[in-house]
Amino acid sequence: MSSNVTSGGRRPPRSGRSGTRRSGLGRLGPLPWIGPAVLLIVVVVLWPVYEMVRTSFLKISVSGFVRGWAGLDKYRQLFDEPDLGSVITATVVWTVGVVALTMVISLGLAQLFNQRFPGRRLTRWALIAPWAASVLMTAIGFKWMLDRTAGVLNTLMTDLGIVDSPEDWLGDPSTAWPWMMFVAVFVSLPFTTYTLLAGLQTVPGEVYEAARVDGAGVWQTYRRITLPLLRPAFLVGVVINLINVFNSFPVIWGMTRGGPDSDTATTTVFMYQLKSSDIGESAAMSVVNFALVVVMVAAFLKVSRWNQEEA
Amino acid sequence: MKKRMLVLSAACAAGALVLTACGGGGAGGSADGTVTLKLVAADYGDKASNSSTVYWEDVAKRFEAANPEIKVDVQVVNWNDIDAQVKTMIQSGNVPDVLQTGGYADKVADDLLYKAEEVLSPATLDNLVDTFAKAGEVDGVQYGIPFVSSARALFYNKKLLADAGVTEPPKSWADLKAAAEAVKKKNPDVVPYALPLGPEEAQGETLIWELGNGGGYTGDDGKYTLDSEANVETFQWLRANLVEPGLTYSNPAATDRRTAFADFAAGKAGMLNGHPSLIQMSKDGGVDYGVAPIPGKDGALDSTLGVADWMMAFKDSGHQEEIRKFLDFAYSKENTLKFDEMYNLMPVTEDTLQEMTSNGKHKDLEPFFDLLPKASFYPLGDTSWDAVSAEIKKSGGTAVGDDPAKVLGDLQKKAEQIAANQ
Repeated sequence: MSSNVTSGGRRPPRSGRSGTRRSGLGRLGPLPWIGPAVLLIVVVVLWPVYEMVRTSFLKISVSGFVRGWAGLDKYRQLFDEPDLGSVITATVVWTVGVVALTMVISLGLAQLFNQRFPGRRLTRWALIAPWAASVLMTAIGFKWMLDRTAGVLNTLMTDLGIVDSPEDWLGDPSTAWPWMMFVAVFVSLPFTTYTLLAGLQTVPGEVYEAARVDGAGVWQTYRRITLPLLRPAFLVGVVINLINVFNSFPVIWGMTRGGPDSDTATTTVFMYQLKSSDIGESAAMSVVNFALVVVMVAAFLKVSRWNQEEA
Repeated sequence: MKKRMLVLSAACAAGALVLTACGGGGAGGSADGTVTLKLVAADYGDKASNSSTVYWEDVAKRFEAANPEIKVDVQVVNWNDIDAQVKTMIQSGNVPDVLQTGGYADKVADDLLYKAEEVLSPATLDNLVDTFAKAGEVDGVQYGIPFVSSARALFYNKKLLADAGVTEPPKSWADLKAAAEAVKKKNPDVVPYALPLGPEEAQGETLIWELGNGGGYTGDDGKYTLDSEANVETFQWLRANLVEPGLTYSNPAATDRRTAFADFAAGKAGMLNGHPSLIQMSKDGGVDYGVAPIPGKDGALDSTLGVADWMMAFKDSGHQEEIRKFLDFAYSKENTLKFDEMYNLMPVTEDTLQEMTSNGKHKDLEPFFDLLPKASFYPLGDTSWDAVSAEIKKSGGTAVGDDPAKVLGDLQKKAEQIAANQ
């Protein structure tokens, strides 16, 4: 009975409190609704990032035993790696080279696929093939086609007289790089071309008509009208390709495993190579990679805002 | 009608049997305190029918029959994954009792293993071939228990050499170069000497050549000597005499052992350093091969590179007595002989070695049996070896490139750093 009374006595303030809670909930706004998504991001993105950073400060034995805190030792070790300089240079050349080639070729391809010609639908479908196939599969396919003894491309080039005898293309960094860049461009083309094609189709026909009436030549029309109007699609293509190509692991791992030594490795592949000797140092490389990607994303955000202002 | 009754009653009987069997098993496991040993082993087979699972489950079954109070839980893992899986097991505290894999010393560094004498009876311990038992020692105490072994020798394609007018296998480096030149002249499409220094097993080919010049990975004091004068000289010779004249692959540092073996078995390579598994490959490829001692700088070597795989026992669960019983059983002649014959591997125990050399069934392996007692090993007992070996695999091969002294010097620096961090 008495308990009833006390609970009765407390009822008004409690309802008042629940009122403030409701307004608190209200202030939370959409948070409860996006909560699951946030949780997912915390679990699959933020937590691994935390673990990665933590691992880079740990001393871990080859057998997998955590031996304690390493401080900044692993980073010092990483920056002392004699190969690191050449790996970073290679990463820059690789990223810039592959993205530039991809964009230039895609511009041409998009223009071609924007024309009306018989079989356009079929060729547009065919362009999807390198995109639909697994990148690792494509890379391994090219590796075997270039094989010194059994490679079909080697046989073809020998038969056509391009080379005197079958060559070990992927064993020598100076020939392995161009071939790997070729494959990387090959697998990047479909996405980029479709992005640019979509951009081309948003350019209204009247603009071209007006240009023609004003007597602009073909090249002038392309440079003064098509390219500026294509800029949003072009920027999206550049930035997404930059990130993809920078992180491109399967092409290089599938074809040369970064070898001999680290002569055909980018920072992503180098990180994987380090894993076999020192997990802590490998994690340090991951952190550096992560920082580079963050810088690139920041650049993307800046560029896209600039793009909005222009538009 | 009668038939249906019969089927029904048979089904009932079978059902009852199954039920009682289950009940019995469950009750036995909980009541009488049996110990379960967790065995993790590498898979030496290449298909389901010759998987090592078959072997180990048979051993476990017979062992359990003889020792009803001990159960053995067998887990066989393929070679590609076993290192990573064992690492995960150790990290997550799910440590095996007995492990059979490629290396042991890194586990000694973290004090995870029983000493060999703690988990082997004196008779079993005595039965191990001395060179291998010695290779299982860390600082004079044996932890690694050798399980199977293999040794390297020079394989040569008899036909290719005979066609080129080479009548006997090369003994010195100069002989080898001359033979390679003759083969190339006669048959420009084959690789005269296959030199695989790619990441698969650069550490093996490297050591074989360095031994030929009196070099090696460690000095008498056990410290790393990766860039010793003899080693640098070895790579200078390889570069000037095999790589630059085109007597081997154009990029040895990017060529893996399996490529070299495949080329030899296809009759596309004249000579290479191989181990016994190449015997069957050559036969399958119809190659008439010969086996000779490894050529050294001034003459054939009387030692060679020996490779062993290891058994080890973890202290974590404290099943010392049970592990000893199991290992004594697994190392009986019957079992080791069965395993070695199943995969054409070389024994590490005296009684099995005796049996295999004398029973006449292993003529192919005879040149290798002679080499075993004189084999040289990697610095297996050094707890830093696994990490150093990984570095040699990655970049060691590039020492046949522009600057052997620099590549080996960088490796030496890394090795010293790794050793200092142990």
